[in-house]
Amino acid sequence: MGWALRRVGISVLLVWAVASIVFVAIRLVPGDPAELLLSQGGMAPDPAAVEQLREQLGLDLPASEQYGRQMLGLLRGDLGRSIQDDSPVLDSIARRLPRTLELIGAAAVLALAVGLPAGVGAAIRQGGLLDRIGSALSGLALAVPVFVVGTLLVLVFAQWLRWVPAGGYVPLARDPAGHLVLLAMPAVTIALGLGAVVFRMARAAVLDVSARDYVRTARAKGLAPRRVLVHHVVRNALGPVVTVVALHLGSLLGGTVLVEYVFNWPGLSGLLVDAVSARDYPMVSGIILVISVLFVALNLLVDLLYAVLDPRVQHG
Amino acid sequence: MLRRSLIAGAAVVPFLRNAARAARDAGVLRFGLSSYPPTLAPWQNAGTAAGTVQLIMNRGLLSYAPDGTLQGELAERWGRDGDAWVFKLREAQFHDGTPVRAEDIKWNLEQVAGEKSTAYLRAQFQQAERIEMPDARTVRLVMRTPNATIPLLLATFFMPVVKPGTTGAGAQPVGVGPFILKAAERGVGLEFEANPKYYKPGLPKLRGIRATAYADENLRVAALQAGDLDLIEYVPWQSMAGIEADPKLRLDATDGPYMYLVFNGKAGPFADARVRRAVAHAIRRDEIVRAAFFGRGKPLEGLPVTPGTEFFDSVRARAQAYDPARAKALLAEAGHPNGFSTTLLSTAQYGMHKDTAEIVQQNLAAVGIQVELKLPDWATRVALGNRGQYEFAVGGTASDSNDPDGMSAVLDGTLPPSYTRSINLPTPRVHDLLAAGRSEFDPAKRRAIYAEMQDVALEQAEFVGLAWRSQGYAMSSDIKGFHNLPGSIGFFSGYTLETAEFV
Amino acid sequence: MTRRLWLPAGAVALLALIVLLTPLLGLPDPVRMDVPGRLAGPGPDHVLGQDEYGRDVLSRLAWGGRVSLTVAAGSAAIALVVGTTLGLLGGYLRGVVELVTVRLMDVVLCFPPLLLALLVVTLLGPGAGTLILVLSVLYVPGFARVAYGGVLSVRAQDYVEAMRALGAGRTRIMLRTILPNVAGPLLVQLSLAAASAVVLESGLSFLGLGVVPPAPSWGLMIRGARATMAQSPLLLLWPCLALTLTILALNALCDALRDALDPYPAPPRARRHLLDMLAPGLLPPRSDAVLDVRGLTVEIDTPAGPIQPVREVSLHVAPRETLAIVGESGSGKSLTGLAVMGLLPAAARVAAGSAVFLGRDLLRLDEAALRRVRGAELAMIFQDPMSSLNPVHRAGRQVAEAVLAHQQVSAAASEARALELFEQVGIPDPASRARSFPHELSGGMRQRVMIAMAMANGPRLIIADEPTTALDVTIQAQVLDLLAGLQRERGLALVFITHSLAVVAEIAGRVAVMYAGQVVEEGPVERVFAHPLHPYTAALLASAPTGGGTPPRGIPGVVPLPHALPPGCAFAPRCAHRIDACEAAPPPLLQAAPDQAPRCIRWAEL
Repeated sequence: MGWALRRVGISVLLVWAVASIVFVAIRLVPGDPAELLLSQGGMAPDPAAVEQLREQLGLDLPASEQYGRQMLGLLRGDLGRSIQDDSPVLDSIARRLPRTLELIGAAAVLALAVGLPAGVGAAIRQGGLLDRIGSALSGLALAVPVFVVGTLLVLVFAQWLRWVPAGGYVPLARDPAGHLVLLAMPAVTIALGLGAVVFRMARAAVLDVSARDYVRTARAKGLAPRRVLVHHVVRNALGPVVTVVALHLGSLLGGTVLVEYVFNWPGLSGLLVDAVSARDYPMVSGIILVISVLFVALNLLVDLLYAVLDPRVQHG
Repeated sequence: MLRRSLIAGAAVVPFLRNAARAARDAGVLRFGLSSYPPTLAPWQNAGTAAGTVQLIMNRGLLSYAPDGTLQGELAERWGRDGDAWVFKLREAQFHDGTPVRAEDIKWNLEQVAGEKSTAYLRAQFQQAERIEMPDARTVRLVMRTPNATIPLLLATFFMPVVKPGTTGAGAQPVGVGPFILKAAERGVGLEFEANPKYYKPGLPKLRGIRATAYADENLRVAALQAGDLDLIEYVPWQSMAGIEADPKLRLDATDGPYMYLVFNGKAGPFADARVRRAVAHAIRRDEIVRAAFFGRGKPLEGLPVTPGTEFFDSVRARAQAYDPARAKALLAEAGHPNGFSTTLLSTAQYGMHKDTAEIVQQNLAAVGIQVELKLPDWATRVALGNRGQYEFAVGGTASDSNDPDGMSAVLDGTLPPSYTRSINLPTPRVHDLLAAGRSEFDPAKRRAIYAEMQDVALEQAEFVGLAWRSQGYAMSSDIKGFHNLPGSIGFFSGYTLETAEFV
Repeated sequence: MTRRLWLPAGAVALLALIVLLTPLLGLPDPVRMDVPGRLAGPGPDHVLGQDEYGRDVLSRLAWGGRVSLTVAAGSAAIALVVGTTLGLLGGYLRGVVELVTVRLMDVVLCFPPLLLALLVVTLLGPGAGTLILVLSVLYVPGFARVAYGGVLSVRAQDYVEAMRALGAGRTRIMLRTILPNVAGPLLVQLSLAAASAVVLESGLSFLGLGVVPPAPSWGLMIRGARATMAQSPLLLLWPCLALTLTILALNALCDALRDALDPYPAPPRARRHLLDMLAPGLLPPRSDAVLDVRGLTVEIDTPAGPIQPVREVSLHVAPRETLAIVGESGSGKSLTGLAVMGLLPAAARVAAGSAVFLGRDLLRLDEAALRRVRGAELAMIFQDPMSSLNPVHRAGRQVAEAVLAHQQVSAAASEARALELFEQVGIPDPASRARSFPHELSGGMRQRVMIAMAMANGPRLIIADEPTTALDVTIQAQVLDLLAGLQRERGLALVFITHSLAVVAEIAGRVAVMYAGQVVEEGPVERVFAHPLHPYTAALLASAPTGGGTPPRGIPGVVPLPHALPPGCAFAPRCAHRIDACEAAPPPLLQAAPDQAPRCIRWAEL
C-alpha cells in the first residue's frame, strides 16, 4: 500500500515536472501563436488584430499568471482550449489518441508475432539460415527510414497494384473493412522497425538465457527440448524483451509522426507536430501531458509485468 | 496454415479496397486539401485551404468569374456613389432558410471592422465611416477616404457573409454558399452537400463535396493517381509533368504566387539601397525556377505586377534582371568591392523556401557575398521576421488581387513591421503613392501613379523579386466547370466549385 | 571467432576511412550547383549523376556520410558514456542517486523524441551540433536503463558481495565487476542507438530539423530525392543504400563484438555424428559397473586449434559405490561429468571414448534416447543451486517438472510426488517451500531442492558436481549426510566430483585423481590416501590442510594449459621426481595393485 502510494506520488511529481518543463520550453521557443494564426499563407496580419487575438487567448497575461491558470486547470482536469480553433484540447486528444494507440497496438502485435519467434529461432540455430536472414533483414528494417518505406508501400500497393488506397482514415464504425485496410500499411511500416528491435532483443536474450545454469539443469532433468525452450529459455528471456518493447512503445506514443504524415493517418503525433508548428501552447501541453501520463502508466504496467515475469523483482 | 491464410488475405485485399475507397458516389466530388483548416471561423486569415473551405460553404457580396473579372454574388449590382460604394442585394437565403437582408450585410461589415475583430481586412474596413441602408435591399458603404479597391477586397474569401449571431466559440456559422457543411472530422476532412436553396438556379451542379486533408504533397498526388480523389489543390511542382502526361488526369495551373527577398535596413550593408540592388542583379532567377519549381514558374525580375494587366510594363518588369557586372559595380560603389558576409533567413519547413534560399546563397557567392543560411521552422522564421532579427530573408506570398494595390503588403515599409516586407526601411514615397492609387478611380491616372510607385520602389529595392511560381490544381479528366482563376487570385478558384460537375 | 569479427570491423573501418579521407579524394565540390545539369544521370564527370541542383551525387554521398556518421558516432558515444554512468550510479548507489537518475530518465522518456528534437532544434537552431545533443539526450535513457537493470541483477550476486566484503571500493566494483557483466546488453544498445541515430538524422533532416543545407547529409539527400522520385529514382537509391550498408556494417560489428565478448561462445559446427564412426571402447564393459567410462576424450575448438581438456579418461562405478573424482579446477573433472550426461557446453564435443551406463553407451545415444535416461536413471546435481534453479519458477514445480518428464502422471500427482521428495530430502514444511521461488530459499534448502529433483525418478546413478562448494561448512555436512543416507537407502551409485580431499575421505569408497585432463591415479580411498603412488596425489595430499600442526606444502608451478601440454607426463614440469624418461612419452595408467592404478612410470621406485 505504501509502495503504491509512493509510486503514485512520484508519478504525480513526474507529470508536474513534465508540465512545467513544457510550459517553460515552449514559451522559450520563438514564435507567437496569435501572430502565426493570422499569418497563414504568407499573409501580413494587422498588428491590432494580433493584439486583439492575444488578449482573447490570454497570451497578454504575465507568464506566472498563465502558469497558475494552467496548473489550476490541470487540477480540475481541464487542459484548456486550442489557440487555433478554440475547441477543448481534451476533445482533440480524445479523438486522436485512440487512433495512434490503435496504430501502435497493431504494429506491436505484428512486431511481436513475427519478431519474437524469429528471434528465438535465430538464437536456437545461431549462425543458421534463419539467423542470417533475420539479422540481415532486421538490419535492413532498422536502416531504411520509415518515410522511404511508407513512400514505397504507397507506390507499390496504392499506385501500381491499386490494392489499397493511398493512405487516409475511415472510422471503424463507419466502414470496418476499410478501416482495417487503411490501418494495414502504416502498421506494417511501424512494425518493420519495431519487429527488428524485437528480433534482436529476443535473439540476444535467448542466447544469454540459453547459457544459464538452470537451462542445463532443465536439460539434466531430461525435459523435452520444446519444454526447455518454452518454459526455461523463452520464459526467462521475456523480461528484457518486454522491457525493450515497452520502452519502444512508449517512445512511439509521440513518435509516429512520419508514418502518420506519409499515410495521412490522423493520429496524435501529427496533431502534436501541428500544434508545435502553430505554437498552440495549450494543445502542446495537453498532448505531452497525456503522453507522459500514458508513459507513466505504461511504466507501471511494465513493472507489474516484470514482477510477474521475474519473481525476484517483487522484493526490489 | 499461415501461408494459406496469407494467400487468402491477398485475394481478399483487392475487394476490400473498393470498400475502403469510398466508391465514387455519383455527383460527390472528392477533394484533396493541402491541410485541414485550422479554423472555420469567418473573416480570419487561416490559410488557403481554410479559404477554399470558406468558398465551398460561404459567399459574400462579390466574387470572381472564371476569367478573373468581378461578378456579383449577394450583391446583384454594385457601383460607386461619391465616397461610397453601393450594393444592391439579390433575393437569397441563409442555409437555415432565413432571407438575407441589408442589415445582415451591415452586421457582417461591422464584425470585420469591430474593436474586438481579428479579421484579416480589419484595418481596411475600419476606414469605413458608416454603413447606410436606404432600403432593405441596398447597402451603402461610406468610406473616410475614397477607395477603389473595396470591391476587390469584398471578392476575397476573407469577406463571407454569415447569419448574424451564429459566430462565436464552438458555433458553426450559417452561411449562404452553394454547399452546406454536413460533417467535419477535425484533422481528417469535411463533408458538404449541395445547398438546395442556393440563389443561383441550377447550381451547384455537384451533389456534394467530400474534402479530405492530405498534408503530404506526394501522398496527395498519389491519392489522385490511385483514384482516391477527384481533385487536389497545391499540386507539387515535381508532379506536374507526370499529371500532364496522364490521360486520366488534367492539370490547371497558373503563375500567381511569387518568391522574393526582403531586407533589414537597420544596419549593415543592406541599409544601402545600392547593395540591395546589387543583390537583385546577382540572382539567376531561371535557376530558382528550374531547381525549386521544376520549371513551373517564371523569373520575377521586378515588382509582382500581374502580367497582362493594364499596370504591367515589360521594361519595369525586367528592372532587376540578372547582370553580374552591374551587381559587382554597385557593390564596389557601396564600398564592398570584395563582397561581405551575411546570413539569409528562410525556413526548412517548406521546400520552396529552403530551395530558393540555397540558390540565392549560391548566386550571391558568385559576386562575393558569402551567405550563411538560417533555416528554422516556419513559426520561428515568422517571429524573427516580425521582430527584425535577420539581415535579409526569403519571402513567399500571393497578392490579394491582380490590382497593384495588392502589393502594399510587401512594398509599403511604412506599415507596421511584418515579416512579409522589409523592416527598418520606411518608404514614405511608396506609401503615399500606394495610398494615392487606392483612392484614385481614373484608370489612366492610376496607371501613372503605379508606374511612379514602381520606379521609386525599384530604386529603393526594398523588395527583390525572385520568381513567380505555378499554382496548380489537378483533377480527374472527367471534371468540367472547375477553373483555376488567373494570376494572383488562383487561391480563390474555390468559387468555381459551384459549376464543377462530372461528365 | 576472430574471422567473424574481421569482416564487419573491416567494413566499419573502411567507412570511417572513406569519411576521414573524403577531403583528399579529389571529389567535386559537394555544394557547387550546376542547375542546367540537374537530375542528370551517371556520366564520366559525375559517376553517380547529379542531384536536383546539379550537384555531384557521389561527392555529396561521401561528404554526407561524414556528417551522418559523425552525428551517429558522436551521439551514440555520448549517450553510452553518460547513460551507462547514470545507470551504474543509480543502480549501485541507490538512495537519492537512484531516485534522481531513474526519474530523470523517466522525464526524458516522457517527451516524444520528435517533440524533444523540435523543441531543442527550435531553441538552438538546426545543425549537426544540435543533432548530436538531441540524439544523445534521446539515447541516454536507453543506456541508463540497460545499465541500471544489469546492475540490479548483478549487484546481489555472490562475487559482487564477495568483492564488497574484500573491501573493494565502489568505483572499483562498478568498473571491474559490474561493467563487464552489463557490457553485452550495452553493446546491443549501442548498435541499436548508432543505427537509429543514422536513421533519425535522416528523419529529422527530412522534417527540416537536421543538418542545415547546403551542407550534405544522407537525410537531406533522401528528402530531396523523395520529391524527384518519379524523375530520377536512383537519387533516392544511393543515400538509402549508403544508409543501409552503414547500418548493416555497424550492427554486424556490434553483434560480432558481443559474440567475441560472450563467455559462452557459439558452437562452430555440430560435428557430433563423426563420433559414430570412431571405434567404441574395445574392451567389453565391466558387467558389474553401473557406469563404465572408457577412453573419454573431450575436445574444444579454440582459435588456436582444438584442445583436449579431457583425455582418455576411464572410470567405472558399481552399484552402491561412491566414486570421487578429485582434482584442481581446470583438471577436467566437471567436463567429464557433463560429457557423460550429454550436457557439454556447445563449443565442446566428445572426440573419443565410450560411457556405458546400464548396458547402453551414452555417448552414442541420440538426443531423444539420452533424454529418457537423463533425469531418470541418471541424474546430476550441480555446484551452484542458486544459478542452477530457474529463478522464475516455484521450487516445487521445478521438481514436479522432472517427475512429469519421465512418468505418465497427472500434474497434481507430480506435485504430490514433489512434496514427498521434499520431505525425503529433509526440507521442513514442504508444502510452503514448494510454493517458494528459489531466491526465497536458503542455500542449503536450494541444494536440497536440487537433490530432490535428482531423486525424482529413482535414479541408479547420481553425478554430483561439487554439490557442497557453494555452501557454508555446517550446511555442507548436512548435504553430504543427506546424499550418503539416500545412497545407502536406495542403493544407488554416486559419482562425486570435488576438489576437497576432506569431502572425498568422508563420502567416497574409491577415488580417481585427475590432473590436466587425465586420471593420474585411481584406487580405494583409504589406500590412495595412505599410500599415494603418483607424485601428484602425494603432493595434493601434502598440500591439504591437516588437523595437525604441519603446515601444508604447496605444489610448485602451475597446471599446464590444455593447448600447451608437455610432450611426456603432464605433471613432469612440477614433479620433484622427474627423470628424462618422464618427459619422453606420456605414461600409461599402470596397474600397481589389483585396484590401484597410478599414471607414473616411477611409482615402484618411489
